[in-house]
Amino acid sequence: MKQEEKNFEKHNQFTLTMIPGGFAKKMRTCLLFQAFRFAVINIKMLVVVSKSH
Amino acid sequence: MARLIVMGGGVSGHTAATFARKWLGDEHEVVVVTPNSQWNWIPSNIWVGVGQLAKEDVVFSLAPVYEKAGIDFKQAKAVSIHPHGNKESDKEYITIEYTGQDKEGQTEVIEYDYLINATGPKLNFDATPGLGNGKGHLGEHTVSVCTADHAVHASLELNQIFEKAKKGERQKILVGTGHGMCTCQGAAFEYIFNIEHEANKAGVRDMLDIKWISNESFMGDFGMGGLHMKVGGYVVSSKLFAESLFAERDVPWIIGAHVNKVEAGKVSYELLDGTMGEEEFDFAMLIPPFAGVGLKAYDKEGADITSNIFAPNGFMKVDAKYDAGAYENWKASDWPRTYQNPDHSNMFACGIAFAPPHLISKPASSVNGTPINPTPPRTGMPAGIIGKAVAHSVCDLINKGKEAHLHEASMAEMGAACVASAGKGLTSGTAAAMTVYPVVPDFEKYPGTGRDTDYTFGEIGLAGHWIKHILHHMFIYKAKLKPGWTLIPE
Ligand SMILES: Cc1cc2nc3c(=O)[nH]c(=O)nc-3n(C[C@H](O)[C@H](O)[C@H](O)COP(=O)(O)OP(=O)(O)OC[C@H]3O[C@@H](n4cnc5c(N)ncnc54)[C@H](O)[C@@H]3O)c2cc1C
Repeated sequence: MKQEEKNFEKHNQFTLTMIPGGFAKKMRTCLLFQAFRFAVINIKMLVVVSKSH
Repeated sequence: MARLIVMGGGVSGHTAATFARKWLGDEHEVVVVTPNSQWNWIPSNIWVGVGQLAKEDVVFSLAPVYEKAGIDFKQAKAVSIHPHGNKESDKEYITIEYTGQDKEGQTEVIEYDYLINATGPKLNFDATPGLGNGKGHLGEHTVSVCTADHAVHASLELNQIFEKAKKGERQKILVGTGHGMCTCQGAAFEYIFNIEHEANKAGVRDMLDIKWISNESFMGDFGMGGLHMKVGGYVVSSKLFAESLFAERDVPWIIGAHVNKVEAGKVSYELLDGTMGEEEFDFAMLIPPFAGVGLKAYDKEGADITSNIFAPNGFMKVDAKYDAGAYENWKASDWPRTYQNPDHSNMFACGIAFAPPHLISKPASSVNGTPINPTPPRTGMPAGIIGKAVAHSVCDLINKGKEAHLHEASMAEMGAACVASAGKGLTSGTAAAMTVYPVVPDFEKYPGTGRDTDYTFGEIGLAGHWIKHILHHMFIYKAKLKPGWTLIPE
């Protein structure tokens, strides 16, 4: 059974939200993609930091 | 010669004192009064609480750092403020009581020219019967991660739960807020996901029922009325983001809950709809509500003027609009800009110690009239930025004279970067990296969501964990005043 099928049915609180599928979860720890996101998030954070000082 | 006293050497006070020391000439004095001998990078207490870091990894001794910097360190707690002096002298002073430096229990009077209150929160465990021990400290039924020592204790208790689970005993874990007026949901949020992550690693997740309990009226409120962020081209509510993270991890929730009693293995709570409930647990980490640390203030004659200087919740009044009234009237401009006390121009408050004008989240109370709403968070980044701005103002007042322009740092014009850990591990860890701009929504400027959606975003992944890891080292490095420390932003 797919993970999302298992979780959506586990609790009625879960049925109205979104649950990541296999691909989305894999990308969270995919080193290459995360190295790219690391750069993007850092830039975004630096912009917010500079707007706040 | 001028003397600046900073009360409280946490995130905000340490920032204020160290910058003031850098900006003031040697003829001026900077004194820090704080009760702990060690500085604690509080956000990493979460990892101590799951046994992934030791206490020593998140604390360091303040004395050598202050000695090197030329800051006069008094390991003591501030007790009272006397902004008019006393019958004998007009000179302003505070009284302190030592907690270390071989002077435990001794009291001292220190005169000041400028005073910064950065005493942070009192962890008000006793606000909920059974959450505290009746003497102002954590009670015996639950654990906490608010201090490094609490986190060490939490880790030991959690370990026992994992051991029981390994032996086949099903265990119930409850994490969240221990009162209807708590803030700091983010810390509990991180802790519950780190427990879940460690349980998976230990192979005991199937033996644990993990549940969230919170005073938020909806998931993802975080005391900021929630936030809307750009994800995949859509602007979505943090409600969906938060619910999704919990559902994915099979963690159900109880929200809109005021925990009104804690007993051995059981909490009692009231919900917004007025219903009462109970939840059993084998292990519970419940954040206490925050209050001011209980400083008193006296006038020249010795009369108590605490209520002039402090709001009823014990936080210091600053240049905020405290009479905004009902939610409909709230504006971003109600929030303070300079953090100067309205009655005493040489007194400032920064970080958690200043009294916010009102909540950020929409006020809510149960049908029985019990207020159940998160109070405003003042996280590390705003605490640091405000501390620096206040130090800047004080230094300008000293260096340029009393007419100097005060520096401003409104939480309604300031963003915050938050990285909420969801599990530690260099290749397996994840964290929700979020930025919010501004912290306090400004519905006049951004009528739809109150915030700039170009700068309010969130995503979960390994990159967030790496950032959290780097922040841990970077902020401890900065706080130790190592070379280049001023280049690291707050
Ligand atoms: C578990 C946990 C996790 C967190 N995680 C994050 C995070 O990931 N990101 C983030 O941005 N924020 C996080 N926060 C919030 C962050 O820690 C606070 O925003 C920040 O510490 C506030 O700084 P402060 O200086 O106002 O208070 P504190 O850092 O609490 O400092 C207050 C200081 O005053 C001292 N003091 C108390 N009473 C007196 C007295 N009478 N006289 C003199 N000194 C006194 C205290 O000992 C302390 O040193 C977390 C908080 C907790 C509890």
